[in-house]
Amino acid sequence: LCSDWFKTMQGFVLFARLEARRSLKDIEPRLFPDNGGPENGEVVEIFGPEGTGKTELLYLLLSRCILPLSAGGLELSVIFVDADFSLDLFRLVSILDNRLHTTDEALLRSCLSRLLVLHCSSSSQLLLTLHFLETSFASRPDQSLLLIDSISAFYWLDRAEGRTSYSKQEEKLNKCSELLGRLLRDYKITVFATSSSAPSPSPAPSHSSAPSPSSAPSSSAPSPSLDQDKPYLCRAWQKLVSHRLTCSKSEIVPKMATTTASSLMGPKRRRATQFTVHCSSRNKGSRINHFTVTDRGVEFITELNQD
Amino acid sequence: MVVLRAHMCPGLELQLVRDLREADISTVEELVSADLEALAQKCSVSYKALLAIRRVLLAQHTAFPVSGADLYEDLLSSTAILSTGHPRLDELLDSGLYTGELTELSGGPGTGKTQVCFGVAVHIALHLKQGVIFIDTTGGITATRLHQMLQTESSSLEEQIAALQRIHVFQLFDVFSLLDCLCSLRRSGLQPVAVGGACVRAVIIDSVSAVISPLLGTRHTEGMSLMMQVAALLKALVKDFSVAALVTNHVTRSVGGAVRPALGVSWSHLPRTRLLLEGPDRSTHSFSSLRSATLIKSSRQPCHMRVEFDLSWWSRSKEVPSAKRKHS
Repeated sequence: LCSDWFKTMQGFVLFARLEARRSLKDIEPRLFPDNGGPENGEVVEIFGPEGTGKTELLYLLLSRCILPLSAGGLELSVIFVDADFSLDLFRLVSILDNRLHTTDEALLRSCLSRLLVLHCSSSSQLLLTLHFLETSFASRPDQSLLLIDSISAFYWLDRAEGRTSYSKQEEKLNKCSELLGRLLRDYKITVFATSSSAPSPSPAPSHSSAPSPSSAPSSSAPSPSLDQDKPYLCRAWQKLVSHRLTCSKSEIVPKMATTTASSLMGPKRRRATQFTVHCSSRNKGSRINHFTVTDRGVEFITELNQD
Repeated sequence: MVVLRAHMCPGLELQLVRDLREADISTVEELVSADLEALAQKCSVSYKALLAIRRVLLAQHTAFPVSGADLYEDLLSSTAILSTGHPRLDELLDSGLYTGELTELSGGPGTGKTQVCFGVAVHIALHLKQGVIFIDTTGGITATRLHQMLQTESSSLEEQIAALQRIHVFQLFDVFSLLDCLCSLRRSGLQPVAVGGACVRAVIIDSVSAVISPLLGTRHTEGMSLMMQVAALLKALVKDFSVAALVTNHVTRSVGGAVRPALGVSWSHLPRTRLLLEGPDRSTHSFSSLRSATLIKSSRQPCHMRVEFDLSWWSRSKEVPSAKRKHS
């Protein structure tokens, strides 16, 4: 009896796996090297210190997916796993409003209903949530994108739980990565995950001129130190990542010359924040982009407009 | 890590829990990730029963999925903006403190962080008539000072007393009591704190770095983990109960000599909005109450907006000597 039922379950799952999921290669061609967008079953890691536009990039991808075809979107369902409690729905709605060019409430709600949000408060809950999502992916072939913000949210909590043994520290994230790997192979979804920079070795406050590693690039030139960019999450996660977007930011003062960029920023000579994202894909080369964040969300700066 | 216990869900009997423990399955995560066929054979229980238990446990412990549209509706109905009482600060914060978010005030000693916290608490309790939870870790709060500020805003004694009743003060001096306090607030749903129908709308912690920075440095991992636990609890509190949180922080100097908020990079992800207070200006009188606030992180306003404001705004009708002696 139960073996028949088991076979039906298997068949159902097989069927869901066979049906091709919408490829997200064209989700944002400007970010990735030519023809190097994320294939089905690939993981893109968005990496960078605080305030460098990682969540804004996620909003860009989100809006691209959930907007209707008429507004330039893909009309796909997206699952957003929020580990940081950083999803600002008002910000997302203002970006969608700007792109929709209408104030039609029903249209906005239909876009938002394509988004499913799950808040996780620990890596165990993240693991259980990924198991739960397996049934969701099995039954809904239109769900092709999983966004995780951020995968490094529980890094310190796990480290403290693991005490002195590295393997215990990384155990939970290892399990999550293995499960994610299996979901990617079986269901061919695409995953984008943000992660923050490597934590600095000693954030002890120092008032003297002793050099303390400055881990926040506040108003200096955009040159992240090697330490900051080193991948520090567990090996199982590193193996999964096929594309890495490294974000950084810099302050630029627009010159008085009449370039389009400075006129966009207004008549005042105010320091503006420009973000840089460097994409490196496995075996596909790399690409650097600059963007600013406006009311419409992420706006890429093309070569002509650059200062 | 949730340990499997008998009767956690229908079908999970004590004997089954013991059998599972012998098969090396002691937590919910292990059960959910295990191969159920093999497990069913080992524990001589039916596959179907194990599958049913797995499904129930997963539903109980996994994150609750919410559709974006429902979340948006919820936010629209529950989000409020609490004015700080000072129009210049409101300008910087895009009309005030938003519920469901954390705002951070950082500044060196004597820059007025505690004064701003008092002013905000008094304004919310008196004018907005909402409850405020004030967690004091520096020992700087006194009822007399709050009463002084209230006296300048309102002349009726009943109003002043009612406003004082709406401010609930917790004085604690180490991170474990802070965690305890936040946990119990979350568990109780902020209910016992609501007095006279005023529900709590703001949580002010002055200052959070006083209890956390002593832990960072030597016992590095534990300190960071405790800090992240405080951060997670605060965020959960703020989101679940739709309150606005205001925390204060010290400052340190970065390599270039610029002043930046303390507690490092991992903490900096937590607040949605950050203000840096500076002053008093060395050229002016050392007892001046003028300060400047710069917006260093915001998702709504362009960064580096700067306003000058007067700390004595909250007690402007009368000339009262400030509680702290300011040294130049």
